[in-house]
Amino acid sequence: MHIDRTQRGWAFTSLAILAVSGAVYTLYALEAPQGPRGGSTVGLVFGSVGFGFMIFAALLGARKRVPVWRIGRAQAWMRGHLWLGFLALPIIFFHGGFRFGGTLTQILMWLLIVTVGSGVFGAVLQNYLPRIMTQDVPLETIYDEIGNVRKLLREEADRAVESVCGPLGFTKTKSEEELRAGGFTAMRPMTAATSGGAAVAAAAEIVVLSEEESAPLRRFYLNEMRPFLERPRERRLVLAQADKSQLAFSAVRTLMPAAAHAALDDLQDICDEARQLQKQERLHRWLHGWLLVHIPLSLALILLGAVHAVMALRY
Amino acid sequence: MARTRTTKKLAQRIDLNYFKRPTRFKRARLWLSILLPLLALMWIAERTISKDSRVYSSGRMSGAHAVLETQCAACHVQQAGVFSAHAADSACLACHDGPAHHPVGAVGRKELGCAECHAEHRGRVNIKAASNQACATCHSDLRASGGASNYASNIRSFEDGHPEFAAVRKSSNGMAVAPGTIQLNHAIHMKPIRRGPTGPIVQLDCADCHRPTAVTPPTEYSDASYVGAKVTYTAMTADRFFHLASGVKPSLPQRHPASGRELMAPVKFANACGGCHLLTFDKRFDFGVPHDEPEVVRTFMVKKFQEYIAAHPEALREHRDPDRDLAEKAPAPEFRVLTPAQWVAERTGDAEELLWRKTCSQCHILSTIEAHPAPVAPWLRLPTDSKFELKPLPDIVPSLTRLQWMPHAKFDHDAHTGFTCVSCHEKALTSITSSDVLIPGIATCKQCHAPGPDHAESRCFECHTYHDWSKRKEITPKFTLPALQTGGR
Repeated sequence: MHIDRTQRGWAFTSLAILAVSGAVYTLYALEAPQGPRGGSTVGLVFGSVGFGFMIFAALLGARKRVPVWRIGRAQAWMRGHLWLGFLALPIIFFHGGFRFGGTLTQILMWLLIVTVGSGVFGAVLQNYLPRIMTQDVPLETIYDEIGNVRKLLREEADRAVESVCGPLGFTKTKSEEELRAGGFTAMRPMTAATSGGAAVAAAAEIVVLSEEESAPLRRFYLNEMRPFLERPRERRLVLAQADKSQLAFSAVRTLMPAAAHAALDDLQDICDEARQLQKQERLHRWLHGWLLVHIPLSLALILLGAVHAVMALRY
Repeated sequence: MARTRTTKKLAQRIDLNYFKRPTRFKRARLWLSILLPLLALMWIAERTISKDSRVYSSGRMSGAHAVLETQCAACHVQQAGVFSAHAADSACLACHDGPAHHPVGAVGRKELGCAECHAEHRGRVNIKAASNQACATCHSDLRASGGASNYASNIRSFEDGHPEFAAVRKSSNGMAVAPGTIQLNHAIHMKPIRRGPTGPIVQLDCADCHRPTAVTPPTEYSDASYVGAKVTYTAMTADRFFHLASGVKPSLPQRHPASGRELMAPVKFANACGGCHLLTFDKRFDFGVPHDEPEVVRTFMVKKFQEYIAAHPEALREHRDPDRDLAEKAPAPEFRVLTPAQWVAERTGDAEELLWRKTCSQCHILSTIEAHPAPVAPWLRLPTDSKFELKPLPDIVPSLTRLQWMPHAKFDHDAHTGFTCVSCHEKALTSITSSDVLIPGIATCKQCHAPGPDHAESRCFECHTYHDWSKRKEITPKFTLPALQTGGR
């Protein structure tokens, strides 16, 4: 969620709650005979409010699972999750008098700190990374489909190279026959239309060069480009970096006759898209990876927090 | 021609059911969301099954109770059929059957619970060290049930609201007056001074006279004949005097017996004065009278004079000393002869005049001495003169030496042994009258005793005691070592 001016209301309200809580805590801490304690009346109020905020923040997950629930707007829930969840940390510090206490309460405190910390980290990332994504990954696709799109790109690249160098010897998979890749050469009829619905775009003007003429491209494709399309995470590959990729294609282009340049342009374009997908993957991992910490810890926090509430009242 | 993309073509490469397929990220999130809370639950269950409630502790136990770290039930006693297991005072009293806090005077206040002042689970702290706030709960606004309080009613801490020490506090005449009656000029004694009438010049030190009660008294300026002598009087300290007068105990007794090094012992003549101040009573004797009640002194002198006259009967015939005749009086006879009884009575009377009017009065206040007429010179007396009768003995005003200057607080000189006496008792160097109060005021204490890590302890408990430990009861032990080690499990 982008934190902008539209959240001023939440921000001011949260600041007001924090200021009032801080003032109450300061007065209470100065006057409390035993110092601030979670078991005192003020301490219990802080604890209840803090735990309430945590539960509200956790309910966002339930609200997302059942989007048709007509309990407030999703945006309001998200903002409440952000601000009240963040407020839970200082309120719980006030509850415990900035002491971490015994085993369970220490675990709870650290769970809360990591949960809120990861949430703040995630909020900051979500504030900036989408802009970077829009700017650096114009060919962004659905994250879950990146693997599939990458495969289609590979098949498209195979076809482009085969249109110049002749068959490469790669066997077509079933999916290759059925799925369609998005990238295609616009002015060329898609071979897919004539090959039983295959979706791979290929060059219409098939200009198969001699083996000697096509050797540099074949060698480049098999040694550099295909490994990159198969294993895009290998950073040592030349094509994984834009500037080196540009140089590499320029070098191949000088070795190839003009008839092959259109196919080379396609291959360079495919590489660029593959790199963007790779960057999208990387950004996506940053953008959502913190949830692997945030969600499980917050669930454990709620569970142990409930245990703490019951047992603290007992003792 | 370059590759071109249209939204339609881009959409065609997307599997429309992609969201139904679990991805690695989704799977990891799901499993972690299940496993972590499950792990937490299993941990709690395991602790519950093993009956280990320590996990619910709100903090480590105090140093004194560290051994009970695994014994939750020692304090958290659960009543049958009740979920709550709050720590009860009865659990504290099972081991510490000390008396309750001194009476709580505020209207509507019940007796204080143990935990109101002594908070547990605050780490390895000294649980006896009640916080200032705990005391200030009442003492910052002390409202006595009977109306006005005899004590300062708005004390929040040593730094905030604590009055000047009562002994140092100025009375209505603007002076703080010491109750002692021994007339002592500290200033003279702190300068180089002659030791006795014919002794050398000496420089006295505070410790030459003042020592803690458990320390062997100094011998430098003592007189062995007085140190070993038995006396018939009981020293009346100001503490005892005021206690007898008011019936109010000066302070609550401490939990542990005093070591005897806390307070300075009252200065005794035998230990500190006898070496210089001779109690000579007659030139015929080279020793002095006992430092005792007047009756004892008189009996002593009569006995000594009787022994003397028996050994020297020629002394009964006394010749007139012409140099001491008074011009306006008719000359006395050349000599006179006394009976032994008359001689003893006369010598005793003369010695008493010397003692009561000069020697003893130098330090003590003698109450009835002024009521008697001035003595008559021996050679002016006649054998039939009533002057041979001994005069009534004077009353010596109790010395009222103060042992404990701060009756509502405890002070330990031993803890301050590294400091010179005058660094706190600076007035001792200039005091010329015994009515001066020489104990330091609160400002002197505050130089060291203040909040913060660079200062000595300044919380209330440092000086004050809350429980009347004279009323403590013995307890029956209930813990065993194996049980403590295993936590009763």
